[in-house]
Amino acid sequence: MQSHILSWIIFFPLIGAAIICFLPKRLESWMKPIALASTVPQLYWAYKLYVNFERANPSFQFVEHTSWILRFNIDYYLGVDGVSMPMVLLTALLSFICILASWNIDKYIRGYFSLFLLLDTAMMGVFCALDFFLFYIFWELMLLPMYFLIGVWGGPKKEYAAIKFFLFTLVGSVFMLIAMLAFYFGSVEPATGLHSFDFTILANQAAHIGILKDPVVRWGCYLLLLIGFAIKIPLVPFHTWLPDAHVEAPTAISVILAGVLLKMGTYGLIRISYPVLPDMARAFAPVVAAFGLVSIIYGAFCAMAQKDLKKLIAYSSISHMGFVVLGMSVFSNTIGINGAILQMFNHGIITAMLFLLVGVIYDRAHTRDIDGFGGLAHNMPVFAGYTGLAFMAGLGLPGLSSFISEALCLIGAFQTYKVMTVLATTSIIITAGYFLWTMQRIFLGPMNERWEDLPEISLREAACLTPLAIIVVVLGFYPMPILDMIGATLRNTVHLVVAMR
Amino acid sequence: MNSLTTYLLIAAMLFTIGLFGVLRRRSLIAMLISIELMLNAASINFLAFTKFVSPDPATGQIYVLLIMGVAAAEVAIALAIIISLYRWLRTIDIERADRLRG
Amino acid sequence: MDLVQIARSNLEGFRYAGTEVALCVLIVALLLSGVILPFRKNRRLFLIISMLGLALAMTASLKQPGAGKGVRYFADLFLWDSFSVFFKLFFVAAAAFTILMAQMNREVEDYEFNECCLLVVSVTLGMVLLASSVDLLMIYLAFETMSLLSYLLVGIRFREARGGEAALKYVLYGAFTSGVMLFGFSLVYGLAGTTDIMEIGRILNSAHMAGQNRALFVLMVLFFLAGLLFKTASFPFHIWCPDVYEGAPTPVTAFLSVGPKAAGFAVFIRLFYTLFAREVGDQGFAAIEQVDWPAIVAVISAITMSLGNLSAIHQDNVKRLLAYSSIAHAGYLLMGIACLDKLGLEAVAFYLVVYLFMNLGAFAVVTAVNNGEGGEDIRFYRGLSARAPMACVAMAVFLFSLIGIPPFAGFVGKVFLFSAVILKKYYWLAIVAAINTVISLYYYVRLIKAMFIDQAEVSFEPRVSGVSYAVIGALALPTLVLGVYWQPLAAFIESIF
Repeated sequence: MQSHILSWIIFFPLIGAAIICFLPKRLESWMKPIALASTVPQLYWAYKLYVNFERANPSFQFVEHTSWILRFNIDYYLGVDGVSMPMVLLTALLSFICILASWNIDKYIRGYFSLFLLLDTAMMGVFCALDFFLFYIFWELMLLPMYFLIGVWGGPKKEYAAIKFFLFTLVGSVFMLIAMLAFYFGSVEPATGLHSFDFTILANQAAHIGILKDPVVRWGCYLLLLIGFAIKIPLVPFHTWLPDAHVEAPTAISVILAGVLLKMGTYGLIRISYPVLPDMARAFAPVVAAFGLVSIIYGAFCAMAQKDLKKLIAYSSISHMGFVVLGMSVFSNTIGINGAILQMFNHGIITAMLFLLVGVIYDRAHTRDIDGFGGLAHNMPVFAGYTGLAFMAGLGLPGLSSFISEALCLIGAFQTYKVMTVLATTSIIITAGYFLWTMQRIFLGPMNERWEDLPEISLREAACLTPLAIIVVVLGFYPMPILDMIGATLRNTVHLVVAMR
Repeated sequence: MNSLTTYLLIAAMLFTIGLFGVLRRRSLIAMLISIELMLNAASINFLAFTKFVSPDPATGQIYVLLIMGVAAAEVAIALAIIISLYRWLRTIDIERADRLRG
Repeated sequence: MDLVQIARSNLEGFRYAGTEVALCVLIVALLLSGVILPFRKNRRLFLIISMLGLALAMTASLKQPGAGKGVRYFADLFLWDSFSVFFKLFFVAAAAFTILMAQMNREVEDYEFNECCLLVVSVTLGMVLLASSVDLLMIYLAFETMSLLSYLLVGIRFREARGGEAALKYVLYGAFTSGVMLFGFSLVYGLAGTTDIMEIGRILNSAHMAGQNRALFVLMVLFFLAGLLFKTASFPFHIWCPDVYEGAPTPVTAFLSVGPKAAGFAVFIRLFYTLFAREVGDQGFAAIEQVDWPAIVAVISAITMSLGNLSAIHQDNVKRLLAYSSIAHAGYLLMGIACLDKLGLEAVAFYLVVYLFMNLGAFAVVTAVNNGEGGEDIRFYRGLSARAPMACVAMAVFLFSLIGIPPFAGFVGKVFLFSAVILKKYYWLAIVAAINTVISLYYYVRLIKAMFIDQAEVSFEPRVSGVSYAVIGALALPTLVLGVYWQPLAAFIESIF
């Protein structure tokens, strides 16, 4: 019997969005509760997935498979494996928290929350889709709500940031479209003799025919996909949209952007590029790793130079995603790639905390200028505590979650890329430098009298932050809940890449 | 030189003159005349081919009759438009019709 | 063959000419009702007559021919096959939406409305004839019927200088390019000695033609292209397009951007795929050896889309912007024609259907905005979403669909075209089209930004009537539905080629 849990987890927010869309104007005060209520079942289903997921099984679970468009042999095909499970959990959790964090939105409430729920559906869909076409639709579906959420509810330079985000991402998407169609025409489903978009068939090298046997086409497709994903991750030459988008986006959207959207780039590489084109994955790995290294160091140095707190965190995201890329470019062992997935999850949690904290202070002070603060620890001790925890997690303090994942990435990478790993390690010092320095400038030192009467963090804000903080601490001591889930699948992936002649 | 070639050469010349006229002349009436020349060149071609090549002697002639009709209609419409525009522009110089641009 | 037999075979032909007959009846009805003085300004009456007539024409075209090559009728000048049926349905639908838009439009005065309906229906008749004719003579006549009447349609506001100027540019370019094409027809006739295009195709593709007359073939292809590229508004014969689109009343612009353009593509396919190519296997065609016209078309396609998109970036007039966008879309469609296989043709047909909905939809919103005290300039669109939210959401749907973003129908059309191109291994063309998609995003989103993000600059009350909303909704619905579930349409289109 097919369970429809994945369909529900994807499309339930859409029902909420539809209700909010058609709610009469006089019931406007219901919209926020309805939005929140439509993400609660998602959390519950995510929990059920987590409980029922078979750890030792490397293949797809909770599969739903029906035919959708016969003309192009497109299927409605959903399923999760070890790689997508942490992402599904992350998405469900962050969506819920972000709705809570958006409670202070007061402009066009209807539009904001229905678009947000649409975004939620699209993100969930990306992580559950097993048909390339379906994946692509969800992938693109994220763009529309994201454009409006940044463009309408964003900061002063919102138009520029929104269109830049849209243009950059669309470049990646259209390149991906070309690669996707090349995959389609270069594959054949053994049972029916038709071309296919099915990931499981595409990953089967025996199903490749015609153009997909041509090394030049394979090389081109890998490059196109890589550009598409690198824009999303973002790797350094393609990263310029990210600081702008982050700075201008409203708090909750920054959280989603950094917490979930960035992970889609690396997720796409593992889900699509590696299994379909393993030979090219090996060939490109050193280059990709090098780009990852550049991102790590460049992101860290840029973060150090920032005066805007949000921009600082945006650049630190680039740096941390570099670790993911470095870790997943290693195929001689499975440590690196395990670390990469764990880092994706951890970074999602930590960066969400960081952006929420920036949102808290921006709501009060209406500025994010780091040098403008000082001595805030006196009147906002709880806030300072949360921020301290998040900063320590960000710089990879042992005992907090990202220490383990970054360490795994580096240990894995060391076997293959010795020099690069050593260089990457130096960035940890820089990271510690800018986080501690920022900490000092905001919270310590003499009290800036302008901010003397800033109120302490509110209950709602604490409710957003506390679950994340708990996860950061728990995973710091005991990362096995995640590592257990991903291990079997990743062994399979690495084996697939290495086995391909 | 056989006679088919002669006809075709004349038609080609007419066509070229017409083409050149449309591209070079700036008077609307002259442009219309040039377009008519092009249509006539095609007509001559049709007649010549009917006479020398086609198994069915009627096709080309019917074609030419129809082209004449179409050409007349075309000129009528074009002239009507030119006259209505003349009321605004007071000239038949195409360069002056430049309200729409960008 | 004696007269009785001829008469009988022509009568037989009427069985297949239902659409044409219905349109002729409608034309006569509009002519007659238009001269009755008390009715002269009665928009609703003419609307009802037109809708009834078009509904009749629609039902008459619904009958599908079975398998096989179709039936010739009217002295073998016309062919009744699924290809022509598809385009007949398409043109009648385009005409219906146009008349609905014209009815709610204020640019067309009351006393002009009858003429407007009449001309739209007559142009449609020309297009319908064009879709089914398989004889050079008939193709030329139908082509001219369509063209001549559309010149008048553009100039329907001849009391305004803009309208007259637009009509003038249209008629000059049109007459010129159709003259060139006619010269090409005469050369083909001379080479083959017949005007039946199937027959000509056989002769031109036959073995004893191979390798001969290279220069002549190149000339013929170029002459043909002149007329067809003009109708489809493609490079290098696109220059008229923005001016004509801006000068004509908005519903007419909408009609021109869909109807005659699609007719251009229909006859493009009919002519080039029979005259200059032959079927090979059950999926593909092979071009004649003398001239590599698919390559020419591919290059023209790349230039057309780039030119259209790059020129659209700086437009502040929404109609001009959509004109350049329609040039770009002609470029996308030409990709399908350059592919020279069944998938390419399917892609063109599918994209045309999608384009019908999204482009007419965009123009329907422009019409609605024009109706208030608004205008065509982008500043009238700034902050419009606060005052006309539904219309703006619909416009956003149409524009996103024009960019080709899922889950809207335009995306599926793009997928079709891209897949045809990739199957043919025109990778460079796929990359060019991909980059063009990104460029097009910029100017479409500029309009979306104006509506949703910018502050209102001109405050006016957009008067969007119930009929307008109905029309916009009727166009938005397929744009959404076809983006999510397009199997039935895809299957139908697969069956016509």
